[in-house]
Amino acid sequence: MVLADWGNQISSALAAMSNSTIINEETINHLLKEVGNALSRADVSMSLIIKMRKNIQAQIKLDQMAAGLNKRRIIRKVVFDELIKLLDPGVTPWKPTKGKSNIIMFVGLQGAGKTTSVTKLAHFYKRKGWNTAMVCADTFRAGAFAQLQHNATKAKIPFYGSESEKDPVAAAKKGVEIFRKEGAEIIIVDTSGRHKQESELFKEMSEIETVIQPDNVIFVMDSSIGQAAYDQAMAFKTSVKVGSVIITKMDGNSKGGGAISAVAATQSPIIFIGSGEHIPDLEIFNPTSFVSKLLGLGDVNGMVEM
Amino acid sequence: FMKYFQVLTGNRTIAKEDLEPVLQKFVGHLTSKNVALDIAEKLVESIGSSLEGKKLSTFQGVTTVVKTAMEESLTRILTPKKHIDILKDIQLLKGSRPYAIVFSGVNGVGKSTNLAKVCYWLKANGHRVMLAACDTFRSGAIEQLGTHAARLDVELFERGYGKDAASIAGDAIEYARQTKHDVVLIDTTGRMQNNEPLMRALSKLVNQNTIDLVLFVGEALVGNDGVDQLTKFDKSLSLLSDASKNNVRTIDGIILTKFDTIDDKVGAAISMVYSTGHPIIFLGTGQNYTDLKRMNVKTVVKTLLA
Ligand SMILES: Nc1nc2c(ncn2[C@@H]2O[C@H](COP(=O)(O)OP(=O)(O)OP(=O)(O)O)[C@@H](O)[C@H]2O)c(=O)[nH]1
Ligand SMILES: Nc1nc2c(ncn2[C@@H]2O[C@H](COP(=O)(O)OP(=O)(O)OP(=O)(O)O)[C@@H](O)[C@H]2O)c(=O)[nH]1
Ligand SMILES: [Mg+2]
Ligand SMILES: [Mg+2]
Repeated sequence: MVLADWGNQISSALAAMSNSTIINEETINHLLKEVGNALSRADVSMSLIIKMRKNIQAQIKLDQMAAGLNKRRIIRKVVFDELIKLLDPGVTPWKPTKGKSNIIMFVGLQGAGKTTSVTKLAHFYKRKGWNTAMVCADTFRAGAFAQLQHNATKAKIPFYGSESEKDPVAAAKKGVEIFRKEGAEIIIVDTSGRHKQESELFKEMSEIETVIQPDNVIFVMDSSIGQAAYDQAMAFKTSVKVGSVIITKMDGNSKGGGAISAVAATQSPIIFIGSGEHIPDLEIFNPTSFVSKLLGLGDVNGMVEM
Repeated sequence: FMKYFQVLTGNRTIAKEDLEPVLQKFVGHLTSKNVALDIAEKLVESIGSSLEGKKLSTFQGVTTVVKTAMEESLTRILTPKKHIDILKDIQLLKGSRPYAIVFSGVNGVGKSTNLAKVCYWLKANGHRVMLAACDTFRSGAIEQLGTHAARLDVELFERGYGKDAASIAGDAIEYARQTKHDVVLIDTTGRMQNNEPLMRALSKLVNQNTIDLVLFVGEALVGNDGVDQLTKFDKSLSLLSDASKNNVRTIDGIILTKFDTIDDKVGAAISMVYSTGHPIIFLGTGQNYTDLKRMNVKTVVKTLLA
C-alpha cells in the first residue's frame, strides 16, 4: 500500500480525509494548511505558498464534485498539478544550433555549483557528439583555474584559462575567441560566484555578457537555499538574460523549494539537476519527480498509480 | 465598558483564543525571515504555553507581550551557553603540541575560504599557523588552499589527491608539532549529511587524531535543510568514536557564512543554534580575509523581529 509508505503530512492529511465520510470546508482548509506547511518545509517562498493555496482553493469546488468520484484523488491531483504549473514558465528551453558556435554563460551565487556543473554540461554535450569547449572566466576565486583545468582533464574537454590574467572580461573574451576560431560548437564560460548586494560584481557580470554575447545564460542554484532565493534569482534575471536554470546538490536531503521560487522569479525553465559530485551526475529535469521529492512523496510511480 | 475597565486595572488574562492568531502570525513572520518551519513552530509553541493564563498588565496588547517574550527567547537561544576562547586555548597549549581545528560542512558553504580567514586572524594574533589540505577529493581544492597559504605566508601541508584524509591530518599534526607550529587548520572535503560513507570518513578523521575544535561551517542562505545538516554532522562525528572512552564527539561551534548575501533573512542563525545548542563562533561576511566577524546577538534578534 503506497499511501502507508508516504509518511508525511500531506498524505496523512489526505488519508484523514478519506476516513471522514464527508469532505467539507473544514477538511479542505486543514488540507490546505498541511500543503502550505509541506511547501514551507521545502523552502518555497511564503508569497508563492499563499498564492498557491488560493489557486487550489479556487479549483476545488466541493459541490461540483460528483458523488461517487474519488474526491481524495481529485484534490491530490489539483495540488500536484498546481506545483507542476509553478515549475513550468511556459517557455521552450533553449537548444543549441548545429553548425555554429553556441556560447553558454554560467552565473550564480558563491558555491552554488557552477564550475562543477559547467563540466557536467560540457560532458553531456560531448557525449551527444557536439564539439565542446570550456572557458574559465573566474579570475577571482583561489584555485578556480586549477579546478576547471582538473575537470577538463578528467572529462577530456578542451579548456582555456589563464593564471596571470586578472580581468575576467578579458579572459572570457579571449577564451571564446580562441574556441570560436577553432570551430567549437558549444563553448561554456564559467564565471565567479556573486551576490546582488555587491553591485560591482553584478556590473562585471553584465560586462562579460556584453563581450561574449552568450546564446544562453544558465543560472545555477543550490537546492538547499531558503527564503533568500527569490530576491537573488530576481537580481540575476534583471542583470543578465537568464535563459535556463540548473538546480544542484539534489542528492542531499534538501527538497529544492527555493528553486521553485527561482523559476517564478526568472521565468526560466529548469533544464537539469545536479545529483552528485561526479561528472556524469547531471539529470534532465523531470517536474514530476521533482515535485514528488518536494512534497516528501518518495516513490513517483506509486504516486501516479494511486 | 466592563472590558475597558478590566484592561485598565490589568485584570485581563491571556486566553488561548487571543494567543492563537498572534502566534500563527509569528510563525509566518519567522519563516519569512528564513527560520526553519519546525523551529519556528517549536519556538512559538513554547512561548504560547508560557504566556497562556498570564495576566496582561495595563495597556499591553497580546502582540506586544508575545513580541517581548519572543525577543527574550531568541536572545537566550543565540547567547552562547559556554564561551569558547580559541586564542586562550591555543595559548594554553603553546609549546606542548599544536592546537588543531577541523572545518567541516556540506559542499560549497565556504569551509576553505573561512579557514583562510581564521588563519589570517590567528596570524594577526601572533600565532604560527599551518594549513593542512585534507580535501583530497574536489578538483582544485589543494591549489585553492595553496593559494591562500602563499598569500597569507604560512606553510601548507599536503599529500596530493586521492589519499586518506584522516592519515594526512595525523601526519600534518605531527609535522606541525615537530616544526613548532601553534595551530593546524584542517580543511576537509564537502559532504552531504546523508552520505553515510563520507560521514564515517569525517568521523574517522576527527576521532583518529587529536582535534581540539570541530567547526561546522554552514551558510546563512540555507533553508530548512540547515537543521538536518547540523544535526546529522553532530551525530555522525561519534560514529567511529571510541565508546570505551565514553566521550561522545560532537561539533564544538559554528561558522555561519555568506551573511552578506541574505539581507534581513537571518533566520538560519536561529535554526542552526536551536537544533543543537552549539554556538555561532564567527560570521562570514564576505570573500576577503577580514570578512570574519563576531555575531551581534542584539542586531540579529532585532532583524528577526523587524
Ligand atoms: N553533492 C553534490 N555536490 C555538488 C553538486 N554540484 C556541485 N557540488 C559541489 O559543490 C561544491 C561547490 O561547487 P563549485 O562548482 O565549486 O561551485 P561554484 O558555484 O563554481 O563556486 P564559486 O565559483 O566559488 O562561486 C563543490 O564541492 C562541488 O563538488 C551536486 O550536484 N551534488
Ligand atoms: N559572499 C560570501 N561568499 C563567501 C563567504 N565565504 C565563502 N564565500 C564564497 O563561497 C564560495 C565557496 O567557498 P569555499 O571556501 O570554496 O567553500 P567550501 O565549503 O570549501 O567548498 P567545497 O570544498 O567545494 O565543499 C567561494 O566563492 C567563496 O569565496 C562569505 O562569507 N560571503
Ligand atoms: Mg566556480
Ligand atoms: Mg573547500
